[in-house]
Amino acid sequence: MASRRTTHDVAIVAMGCTPFRDHWNSSADDLLVDAVQECVGSLPDVTLDDVDAFWVGTQGSGLSGQTLARPLRLAGKPVTRVENYCATGSEALRNAAFAVASGAYDMVMATGVEKLKDSSYSGLSAVFPPADGTDVDWTAPAGFSLLAPAYQAAYGVDAQEMRAAMTRVAVKNHANGARNERAQFRKAVSAETVERSPRIAGQLGVMDCSGVSDGAAAAILVRAEDAHRYTDKPVYLRGMSFVAGSGSGMAADGYDFTTFPEVVTAAREAYAQAGVTDPATQISLAEVHDCFTPTEVVLMEDLGFSARGKAWRDILDGRYDADGALPVNTDGGLKSFGHPIGATGLRMMFECFTQLRGEAGARQVPDARLAVAQNLGGQPGSCVAFVAVLGNER
Amino acid sequence: MPDQPGIDAYAAYLPAYALDDNRLDPTVPPRAGGPTRSVAGYDEDTVTMAVEALRHIAADTPAGRHLLLATTSAPYEAKTSAGVAHEALGLDPGVTALDLRGHRAGASALDLVLRGVATAALADVRTTRPGAPDELAQGDAAAAFVGGRRAAVLLARAGHTSEVLDRWRLPGERHDRVWDERFTAEILVAAGLDTARRALAEASLDTVDQVVVSSSNVRAATTLRRALGGTGQDATIERATGFTGVAHPGLLLAAALDEAQPGQTILLLSATEGADAFVLRVGDGVRAARGGPAVRAQLAARQRLGYGRYLRWRGLLDVQGPARPAAPAPAAPPMHRRAGWKYRLEGSRCDACGRVTTPPGRVCASCGIAGSDAATGKVSLRERTARVVSVTRDHLTTMPEPEVAIVVADVDGGGRLSAYATDVAPGDVVVGMPMTPTFRRLWTTDSIHNYFWKLRPAPADAAPGKDTADGQ
Repeated sequence: MASRRTTHDVAIVAMGCTPFRDHWNSSADDLLVDAVQECVGSLPDVTLDDVDAFWVGTQGSGLSGQTLARPLRLAGKPVTRVENYCATGSEALRNAAFAVASGAYDMVMATGVEKLKDSSYSGLSAVFPPADGTDVDWTAPAGFSLLAPAYQAAYGVDAQEMRAAMTRVAVKNHANGARNERAQFRKAVSAETVERSPRIAGQLGVMDCSGVSDGAAAAILVRAEDAHRYTDKPVYLRGMSFVAGSGSGMAADGYDFTTFPEVVTAAREAYAQAGVTDPATQISLAEVHDCFTPTEVVLMEDLGFSARGKAWRDILDGRYDADGALPVNTDGGLKSFGHPIGATGLRMMFECFTQLRGEAGARQVPDARLAVAQNLGGQPGSCVAFVAVLGNER
Repeated sequence: MPDQPGIDAYAAYLPAYALDDNRLDPTVPPRAGGPTRSVAGYDEDTVTMAVEALRHIAADTPAGRHLLLATTSAPYEAKTSAGVAHEALGLDPGVTALDLRGHRAGASALDLVLRGVATAALADVRTTRPGAPDELAQGDAAAAFVGGRRAAVLLARAGHTSEVLDRWRLPGERHDRVWDERFTAEILVAAGLDTARRALAEASLDTVDQVVVSSSNVRAATTLRRALGGTGQDATIERATGFTGVAHPGLLLAAALDEAQPGQTILLLSATEGADAFVLRVGDGVRAARGGPAVRAQLAARQRLGYGRYLRWRGLLDVQGPARPAAPAPAAPPMHRRAGWKYRLEGSRCDACGRVTTPPGRVCASCGIAGSDAATGKVSLRERTARVVSVTRDHLTTMPEPEVAIVVADVDGGGRLSAYATDVAPGDVVVGMPMTPTFRRLWTTDSIHNYFWKLRPAPADAAPGKDTADGQ
């Protein structure tokens, strides 16, 4: 039994990412074409014909590899559609990476897309198979809101302190998104705005929740030894792990809703592959799955950035602000981008890619060398988790 | 059939809510001293109330008997509602599930219990048009009876069928139409007195220790109580619940048995679409024959309900809900495959580590070991206490409430439940709170009622007197 770094190292040599928006005038097809063209267009000597195989991640905006093959009129190419809840975009990249690492292909592309705004409903709209009707009809915020009271009870954090930490997450991420032209929401928000927003679930108001948007993103991956043939600034996949939880947190007593054990495992494996021994000091920046504000609080501990029971304090102390010791969600996160499911994981990767190449402009983290991209789906107690470590050195 | 028929066990179920004010305009002064009606929660119907009444007394119903569900308000037309209760109780398949319909069905079901051929639930949900003169005089309740003789033995019975247009409604209509009750009262009083006298004569009794009168017609009930020398205890209960339809004779009998002494005699007279009279002698085992709490204890534990919430619950006020699709309709094959979980809250107990997995599965959620099909143990969680691990309040609920509480709770003895909390203000549910399972209707989508278990506060933690959901 082992989870180790691929035999061949993998590098990302190009990426594309659409603005995440209410794209009333663009279909999922259009968004994929935009992301893929930006990605391929950034490499002067590469065309789509040079890409040997493709992955497309989408939760509900298409079925099969033809989701990508049709809009791009890819002829004679293998395209795999993947779905893994809200980690779908990361899953596309993960499988694409294995394909080049194995030697089966020399150049592959991972894409992800979601078209959420053609529905009249806000929020995510997954369709599940026929069932016996015994499952709670959770909203996503309701499922994730279970974290807050459990965390408070476990660590003796009072309601005001918890509220302040959650508010800080929202304020921080929107401040970051305000500086990012690709974000859906490009306006800083005040603590008062966050705390006065209409309640959705438990302690969560609208402003504790990620937005809902349309978007697509794409990446070209090659083996590391080939990377410099395409770019001077490749970004290397230093470690990568994925865990599909057994769901035991909801099916048996014991799990306490203060952590995502799936993330802890994935992070441990990714760090080991990357040679990261102290993430709190070695990681330059992190893109994490801030679907709801308490999620980010708990993730700071699951990723080893804060000690158990201390993340709320570190957040309030500014440790994860853009100018803090370990900037988190420098692009604005799901809070500012919304969450087009199939695209989100690759959007996180896009920010890491941009930062590690020193191209993040006003958002640039000085001397960024190692970045974490962490993406999850499901709900506390029963989730899927992806963690990657990316670096600008092999 | 037993030599000396009677009642072995009984139970009454009153929902958690009481409505005593039906003013549409709260600026006009309230009516002082008016009646109070019992109100089933928005997640209750006659099937769920029947299960709540039956669950403590009916599990051992032997094959060959019938399980009767008597009601004027069955959740399904055509489909047998008693079948759902049968499944929830885990009864022997040799017990026939059968619905009895019509206003006289309660007394008839009781008659069949006393004859030793049936276990019965009498359940009704009564809804009038808003503002109807008897709006607060109708109510919701259930009662259940198992044949035998611990609680009471039958000394005599008599019946009288009268075809009379009293209360009726067409299929699809929600409210009874009522003929001039002065006319009906005369018919029912005559039938009632005749029937009661015949039953007393057959029992060779001139008087009884307690008279219990139930009638769909308030005038008839008052006249009969006076004429037969009742103490008015039945009328007191009725003023707190309203006339609970088919359940009413059962509810009033249960209340009488709660307080009766062994050896006392009871005349139960139901005057509805004719009359049914039963003369009973209270059994020596009556104190141990009750399932669940006494009627008076249930009355005392109720919460006051505001009229607006009542109207919304009954679909009489169309309130804007969230922009969210309806909860999915359940599908027949998975419901059938997982009947033990869905209807009886049975988890699986691991043969290897002994821990409980919910919903039940082939592989243990704790140790990951697969049990053989034959060896996988089932454990029912529905009579156990579960303690809240975490809680949220869903403000986007599709239920007819501004918010509902959803909990994850660990069951004493093992097992975890994710469940809706009910009969409690969402803001009152806290981590650590003990709760108990209750059978409810979660939602109805595509004309399919979706039944499952919710959690309500364990009795000691029930908070009476709460009116509205807070936090809005």
